[in-house]
Amino acid sequence: MDNIKTDTVLLTNLLGRSKELQLSNDDLKVPVENILKGMGMERSDADEYLLSLIDELIVTCFKLVGPRASYVLSEQVQVDLSANKVMIEDTELLTGKIVSSFMKKCVAVVLFSVTCGNGVEGLSKRLMKNGHALEGFIVDLIGSELTESIAGYLHNDIEGKLETVGYGVTNRFSPGYCNWPVSDQQKLFSLLKENNCGIKLTPSSLMLPIKSVSGILGIGPSVKRVAYKCRICNDEKCIMREKE
Amino acid sequence: MNSEELLAKLAECVEFGKVNKNAPFPPAMKGMDGADELTKQALDMGISPDEILNGALIKAMDRVGEKFNQKKIFVPQMLIAAKAMNAAMEHLKPFFKSGEVKRKGKFIIGTVAGDLHDIGKNLVAMIVEGAGWEVIDLGVDVNAAKFLQSLSENPDAVVGLSALLTTTMGNMQNIVAEIKQKHPEVKLLIGGAPVTEQFKVEIGADGYSSNPQGAVTYLNSLVA
Repeated sequence: MDNIKTDTVLLTNLLGRSKELQLSNDDLKVPVENILKGMGMERSDADEYLLSLIDELIVTCFKLVGPRASYVLSEQVQVDLSANKVMIEDTELLTGKIVSSFMKKCVAVVLFSVTCGNGVEGLSKRLMKNGHALEGFIVDLIGSELTESIAGYLHNDIEGKLETVGYGVTNRFSPGYCNWPVSDQQKLFSLLKENNCGIKLTPSSLMLPIKSVSGILGIGPSVKRVAYKCRICNDEKCIMREKE
Repeated sequence: MNSEELLAKLAECVEFGKVNKNAPFPPAMKGMDGADELTKQALDMGISPDEILNGALIKAMDRVGEKFNQKKIFVPQMLIAAKAMNAAMEHLKPFFKSGEVKRKGKFIIGTVAGDLHDIGKNLVAMIVEGAGWEVIDLGVDVNAAKFLQSLSENPDAVVGLSALLTTTMGNMQNIVAEIKQKHPEVKLLIGGAPVTEQFKVEIGADGYSSNPQGAVTYLNSLVA
C-alpha cells in the first residue's frame, strides 16, 4: 500500500476536521425537467395540468424539507489498487476498482452524509396511501432531487474552498454504486461517527430517512471532477445509469 | 342517457382520468360527472356490475394500456386513469365480495426483504388493480415466509416481486427459489429498476416487466 502524505494544517484550516453545513432552501434546486425525466417524459410531453401540479408540489416540498449535510475530513488514507480497497484510518472500505482508482492520487478524503429529512417522504407515503398515486410519485421524485441537490451543495462547497489553494475534489461515490457494496454503509457510518445528520441504518444497510445520500470525496492537488460517470462503470444494472 | 351512452361516457371518464365531478382534470371535462358519479348512476339504472366492469372500466383501461405502449401517453396519465378506475371500483366492491362479479385473478405483490422502496411497487399495484385484478399488497421488506403465507391463503394467485437495489436482487433470487421449491406451479413476475429480462431467466422467474403496463400485459396473458 502507498502511504499518502498530506498537508493536514492546510486542509484543516480550509474545511475543519468535521462540519455540519448550514443550508437554506435557497441553496436547493429541483429542475422540473428532472422530475419529468423520472416519469419517462420530456417537457414537450407534458400538458399544462401536469406542469402546474409539479410546480405546486415543489412549493409544498420546499416547505417540508429539512436539509442537513455533514462531513468528516481524514488524511489517513491508503489505497490498495491491487485489492481494490481504500483504507481510511483503521477501516477498510471495499470500494471496488473504479472508486479505488479515483482515490489513488488523493491526499485526503471527505466522508459525508446528507438528508432531506422525513417530511417529503412522509407526504409521498400519505398521498400514496390515500389513493393519490400521481402526486405521491411526483413528491417522491422531488425528494430524490432535493437530496441530490443537498449532496451537490456540499460537493460544490468543498470544491470551492479547495480551489483557493489549487486543490481539487473527485466525483462523489456512494456504497451501492460502481460495484462498492452497500453493506459498507456500516463502516462508512462508523467513520462518520456523530456527523451522520441523524440518519439511521437498517440491518440491510439502507438509510432512514430513505431520501439520504452518503459517500466519499477524494481530495488532492492533482484530482478533479469529471463529467463521466457511467462510461467508466460496468454495472449495467445500476438504477442511476440512464440519468448520466 | 341510455345505458349504452352511460357506459361509453363512463369509459371515457376512466380513459381520460375524470375521477369525479370536483376533479380539475382533465380541464376539458371540468364540472362534468366523473367515474364516481357515473358508476353510481349506472348501478341505479340497473346495469349489472359485470357489464359496468367489462363493458366500460376494463375496456377503458385496455385503451389506456394501448396508448401507453404506443407512447401516446406516459405514467402520469396512466395513474390518473387508474385513479378514476378505482373511484368506479369502490362502487363495485360489494359485488366482488358477494361473488356476483369476478376479478381476473389475484396478484400478490411485495418489495423483497431488505428493500424499503415502495413507489414502483405501489404504481404497479394500482395499475394492475385498475386492470381488473385483486391485488394483495404485502408492503416492503417482505421475506419468503410472508410471500408463502399469503400464497397459502390465496393459492391461485400470481406473485409479483419488486427490488430497487442491485444488492437486494440477491434476496429476490432467494425468495423466488424458495417459492418455486414449494410451489413450482405458481407464476412469479419480477420488476424494479435494476431487474432485467436476463435476470428473470437466471433466477427462474416466469415474467419480467420494466413498467406497470407490462405487468398487466403479462398477467392478462395468463388468463387469456
